[in-house]
Amino acid sequence: MTWRPTPLVTTLLTVVAWAVCLAVLTARAELLFVALPLTTAMLTLSRRAAVPEYSVSLDVSAARVFEGETVTVTMSVQAASTVPLLVVRGPLPADTDLVSGRHRAAASLARGEVASWRYEIRCAARGAHDFGPVIVQVRDRWGLRAREGRHVAARPVHVYPRVAPLRSLPRPAHTQTSIGDYVSPALGEGIEPGDIREFAPGDRIRQVNWRASLRLGALHVTQRRRERNADVVLMVDTLAAVGPRHETTLDLGARAAASLATAYLARKDRVGLINYGGTIDWVKPGSGRVQYERVADTLLKATVVFTYVTKDLAFVPPRVLPSHAIVVAVTSLLDPRFAKAALDLAARGFDVVVLVVSPVAVTRAMLRDSPLNALACRLWALERRGVLDAFRRHGLTVCEWNPSEPLERALAGVERRGLRAVAG
Amino acid sequence: MMPRLGAAGFTLVAFVLPLLTARPRALVLTDVVGLLLATIGLITLWRWAATAAACLLLVSYAVALWLAARPPSAVGPTIFGLALLGLLQSIELGRTLRRATIEASVVRSQLLGWTGFAMGVVAGVMLLAAAARGVAAIIPLTVAPFLAAAGALGVLATVAAMLRRSHEA
Repeated sequence: MTWRPTPLVTTLLTVVAWAVCLAVLTARAELLFVALPLTTAMLTLSRRAAVPEYSVSLDVSAARVFEGETVTVTMSVQAASTVPLLVVRGPLPADTDLVSGRHRAAASLARGEVASWRYEIRCAARGAHDFGPVIVQVRDRWGLRAREGRHVAARPVHVYPRVAPLRSLPRPAHTQTSIGDYVSPALGEGIEPGDIREFAPGDRIRQVNWRASLRLGALHVTQRRRERNADVVLMVDTLAAVGPRHETTLDLGARAAASLATAYLARKDRVGLINYGGTIDWVKPGSGRVQYERVADTLLKATVVFTYVTKDLAFVPPRVLPSHAIVVAVTSLLDPRFAKAALDLAARGFDVVVLVVSPVAVTRAMLRDSPLNALACRLWALERRGVLDAFRRHGLTVCEWNPSEPLERALAGVERRGLRAVAG
Repeated sequence: MMPRLGAAGFTLVAFVLPLLTARPRALVLTDVVGLLLATIGLITLWRWAATAAACLLLVSYAVALWLAARPPSAVGPTIFGLALLGLLQSIELGRTLRRATIEASVVRSQLLGWTGFAMGVVAGVMLLAAAARGVAAIIPLTVAPFLAAAGALGVLATVAAMLRRSHEA
């Protein structure tokens, strides 16, 4: 970081030269006096400027927020020596909007003086933003030389997809061995009554069904159904996306996946994630709060990576895609390779539910209102209905989500044929 | 806002001074074009517009001095020079502080610094002019060109030394 002359020096030199030329041309010595203040100001350049001493600190109110939430950034500068003019430029990452205050500030600081500024940023889009460097420019009193420096290390702020509360969720066809919220057909410890049988040695007294025992003339016990959890794998389509910035089908899909992950984890299920696209990222199924953060962190990175290569899910390790897991495929079905992958999974015996984020509704919202656009969208919707019907014929559960409506409504309408009770 | 206000004030001074010196129609036209360019510079904070405005206003002032053919004066041109300096500095400051929160300390420091500098320069020029008047009486007319050349050489040497030191710093 060294002092550099600013463009003002060139400007002043130009005017001085021009004044001297005019003085010679008009033979008026007074014009040299016009150049005098400008030259005097430039003479300050001959003095060696002292190195300004100051320290910069940056504070961000939160390291993790949801889309649409705001963070407050506080910048402080403490001067150890006199600083004539200090211009601070705080971080304003892409995909964020300034809500209040300004991220640029200027102050003149005396020795030991502290200046502090605060501004608020709205994080509009999911992603990992760097709230790192603060750029400080120090200028001399005349603005003739400046030095610039970058301060403060990287401060990442993770903006997670918005989560919608969900009550209706696609029920898994199979459960796992851990305790959860699904009533399993298998008998054992639980709350839900399952069957009645005759008392056998080893049964506990509190299991005795006294009413049945009196009616049947022998001791009978109530058997209960086990309550088990399930493995849920969310498969997000990152092959293609349409829609306006921050509201693409992929962004909407990421929000849907985050909402589903939250709801399933609240039911003690093990949730995993596969971002299926140009690159495949995955999170193996797990449960708890930490697992949500793992899933959300992977969803942050979900982006469309164009490729001609069709990725084979056979390469995904079995621990990421366990047998008997319910696979919720979140897709816009814009790329037929994802449809093929979902059908392959169904053929391998996975319980697949396809949540289709309607690209028609998203695209329609972007287009201007005209009969031609309306007709094109209707034809597209018709064509897509045929694709969804083909999915249903293959035995997949399909629900279409129009993003202008709540996700809850789309999921509440899910009918799972041939699924009365969850198999153990 | 503060730099723009300052620049407007300096522009006004630089616009009015040539008109107070002489007022032919061609001069008024050059002056008005200079004012227009300065206004563009004020609004957009474009550096080239401010430089062009300063040069045009300077032309206007030079022509005014030439036409007026008055005895030489030092204070008027110095004030004009200060106005040009203020205009250019204010535009540069405006560019630096664009879309920034400006603390009151900046305004205070700039105002104090600039007022002190202007007063110092004007006082210095007045002293210099008085001294020159005294010296002019005793210098023989034949030596005057050599003294002027030595002065010019001195200025060149100073500028060269200044640039060298600035480069080293």
